[in-house]
Amino acid sequence: MTTPHTNRRSVILTETVNGLTPILLLFSVFLTFRGHNAPGGGFAGGLVMGAAVILRYLASGPDGIRSLRIDPIVLIGAGLALAVAVGSVSLAVDGSFLESSIWKFELPLIGKVKFVSSSLFDIGVHVLVVGVVMAILVAFAEADDEVGGRR
Amino acid sequence: MIPLLLAHLIAALVCLVPGRRAARWALPLAALVTAVTFGWLAGQASSILAGDTPTFDAEWIPQLSLSISLRLDGFGLLMGLLVSGIGTLVLLYSISYFGRRDDLGRLAGLLIGFAGAMLGIVWSDGLLTLFVFWELTSVTSFLLIGFDDRNVTARAAASRAFLVTGAGGLAMLAGFIILTITGDTTTISGLVADPPTGTLTAVALVLVLVGAFTKSAQFPFHFWLPGAMAAPTPVSAYLHSATMVKAGLVVVARFAPAFATQGPWRLLVLGAGLASLMIGGVRAMRQQDAKLALAHGTVSQLGFLMVLLGLGTPATTYAGVAMLLAHALFKASLFLSVGVVDHEAGTRDMRRLKGLLRTLPVVAASVIVAAASMAAIPPTFGFVAKEKALDGLLDSGLGATGTIALVGIVLGSVLTVAYTVRIAVGLLGDDAPGVEGSTDPDGNVTAALTPVDPSSVHTPKPSFVGAPALLAVLSLLFGLFAGTVGNWLAEVTTSLDPATSEKYLKLWPGVNTALMVSTGIITAGVLLWWLTRVATRTTDARRSVATIAYDHIYDGLLEGARRITAATQSGSLPFYLAVVLSTVAVSMIVALGAGATDALTTPRWSNSALEFVAVMLTALLAVGVVFARKRFTAAVVLGGSGYLLAIVYLIQGAPDLAITQFLVETLTIVVFLLVLARLPAEFSPAPAWAPRVVRIAISAAVGVSVALFALSASQSRTAPSVGEQYVALSESEAGGLNVVNVILVDFRGFDTLGEITVLAVAGAGVVNLVRAARRQQRRKHLEDGGPAESEETLDTQRSSRQVGVWR
Repeated sequence: MTTPHTNRRSVILTETVNGLTPILLLFSVFLTFRGHNAPGGGFAGGLVMGAAVILRYLASGPDGIRSLRIDPIVLIGAGLALAVAVGSVSLAVDGSFLESSIWKFELPLIGKVKFVSSSLFDIGVHVLVVGVVMAILVAFAEADDEVGGRR
Repeated sequence: MIPLLLAHLIAALVCLVPGRRAARWALPLAALVTAVTFGWLAGQASSILAGDTPTFDAEWIPQLSLSISLRLDGFGLLMGLLVSGIGTLVLLYSISYFGRRDDLGRLAGLLIGFAGAMLGIVWSDGLLTLFVFWELTSVTSFLLIGFDDRNVTARAAASRAFLVTGAGGLAMLAGFIILTITGDTTTISGLVADPPTGTLTAVALVLVLVGAFTKSAQFPFHFWLPGAMAAPTPVSAYLHSATMVKAGLVVVARFAPAFATQGPWRLLVLGAGLASLMIGGVRAMRQQDAKLALAHGTVSQLGFLMVLLGLGTPATTYAGVAMLLAHALFKASLFLSVGVVDHEAGTRDMRRLKGLLRTLPVVAASVIVAAASMAAIPPTFGFVAKEKALDGLLDSGLGATGTIALVGIVLGSVLTVAYTVRIAVGLLGDDAPGVEGSTDPDGNVTAALTPVDPSSVHTPKPSFVGAPALLAVLSLLFGLFAGTVGNWLAEVTTSLDPATSEKYLKLWPGVNTALMVSTGIITAGVLLWWLTRVATRTTDARRSVATIAYDHIYDGLLEGARRITAATQSGSLPFYLAVVLSTVAVSMIVALGAGATDALTTPRWSNSALEFVAVMLTALLAVGVVFARKRFTAAVVLGGSGYLLAIVYLIQGAPDLAITQFLVETLTIVVFLLVLARLPAEFSPAPAWAPRVVRIAISAAVGVSVALFALSASQSRTAPSVGEQYVALSESEAGGLNVVNVILVDFRGFDTLGEITVLAVAGAGVVNLVRAARRQQRRKHLEDGGPAESEETLDTQRSSRQVGVWR
């Protein structure tokens, strides 16, 4: 078991991760949106994106995460806020929490699009899950700092 | 009514939210709101006194037939005028008192928020509406007592006051709930119109009285009030003499006409009221701080009011209402005067003050008039009200109860006269003995207190002395025009007790028994002051028995909680696991034993050969975990078991579940391994209390019972499955083909919201633990004189918050 310390970083791993990351990110978004009609959903999508972040951490160590400059608390808060907002709006409009509204419209080039308000709720879940995974990584990054001396 | 209450709330937020930026305009804004309220009430006065009662009702929780009900009757009008009128004066006075400070937004916001809550109390008709506003005043009072939040004493006094009044509030809530049930109504007007009876009602009344006693600082809960004087003087004048401490009296006044004859009501009211009257009076005699002396005096006066309003006869209720008005006027005036003295002379110690008669003539005149009203000396309103009280008690028709009340009140009034004269003379008189410095046998040095040089006393601005002067003038004017005021108050009292026949107050009712008693009281009081004037120069600094009892209870509670926590929270993970798992096993075995075993007779072992193989492999790997010696091996084998489970899901036709299981398993293993990298390679030895036998027993019990339970549960369905319905509705209702997802985000979306909230809390907890640990580390680093980081770099790091946790 190798610990992700600065001095033991593999170039192969780093490059593989760099190549994989865009695909993983795209796949995670795909999973989230497809969830409404086929296996997937916000939780699974969030986990895939979380896996991408973890890979980055394994490849580049704490600095790989730090350079993202994203505060996990912000992600967690934003995700939860979005989910609550979607639910509350439908509570106000339809009188029941998270009652879905369905919009269908034509987009140029893409064609017919059906959008369901609960997809927004799923996006909230997605963002929140990524935030939680990052929060856990923060804890590891801090521990690394202690082991590897002060930055 | 509602727009006014909302205006208070909005004004409070407008003052509180901008922080320091609100400091300059917050107090005038708050004063404007209370002034408008006062104006509106004054405009409504004639129609309300004529018997009109505007009401407001809004459904709150219709399932429990709960509503927000307000009702503005005569008594509500009087109290509303006091709250908003004195509120306006106090807020304007605060502008001069505080001068320029940057926390005035907070002060004004809390004061105006309090004023709104207090108006809510006096206008509430719904019992729970009343309770909500009641607790709001407790909270604002807590924040205002502790306004000087760097002062330990103030903080302690604030939490003491809050705990006492808050506990009383809970008792009152219990009482209200019982009354709602026995009386089958949720409003005060409904209860009073058709009062329930019986033992349960009597219990409820006792609970309500406990609430009223705590709020109105009645024995044995009186001790929080003097401590509350840690608040700035305008706050003390407003909350802790004129308004909030009257909240208990408001409840008692509304209940007494209907409930005074029930259970131990009169006994309790009389006991607590008279005890407070005497204790407060005696302790007021031994204070050197004029404000503290007034505070003990307030306890005493509140006791007096409690007796009058609690006895529930028409005459005493009428006198009580008059006395309530008189007390609000003179006590607020005195407090505000003491505030001016404190501000201009720099001390409230009566041994150090002299010559204020010449240096602060307006204040001195206000003090004299207000004190005269407090001591019930003609021609002030206090005298008129006290006459009426004595009159009502002399002829109460209550037999022994009435006699005890009368004797108690006469004795208490003698004390009142004595401490009033003492405070007035102490503040204004030319005798300022000061205190010589001393050293007690333990070697503690007490600094000398020298008299204040009258020439060093500043002259206050007219706007500063305006508020106490105006209140004093009203104390005098209401006395001079007692007839007119008496007619108003008669209408007010009718709203409490329709049987009120008293229709007049008189400044000079002729020589009657009450007047002779009054003369006797004043003579005896002055005599008492003269005889004790030297002896009372030493302070009575002992803590009262009630305070000591409170401290013991408080410490005992904390100590008890600490011991329970220490006993149950050992901090040992194996121990926690053992407890949790044993509980799970036992509860399931009990449930199975209670008859859920029928379904076990024909267990279905497997659906297909493939599934059987997958399940067996999963189980095999799970068993393998137990035999792993190294943590790393255990984690990997456990992960394998998890992946196989995902395959079982797939075989069962649950791809969503399978995907999630795969992903969770993957992330869990990675996190596991990251943690394991920091732990010893091999498991640490098991704790001594859990030898192999015990561990195996617990594990086996959990495994077997969970398996049996799952088997049993899956074959015990009695109600039709909701699944079919969900599948049917999935596309038409929620526009989704994946029913699992639709359940998660739509049908059972609220559950999902709950789950992600838990997740969010956990994530935030992790981040904050990390941040807290780092802060602690930094502080330690600084204390150790570490060279790497100075206070300055710490500050720059704090200010660059956008980088958040990654700093």
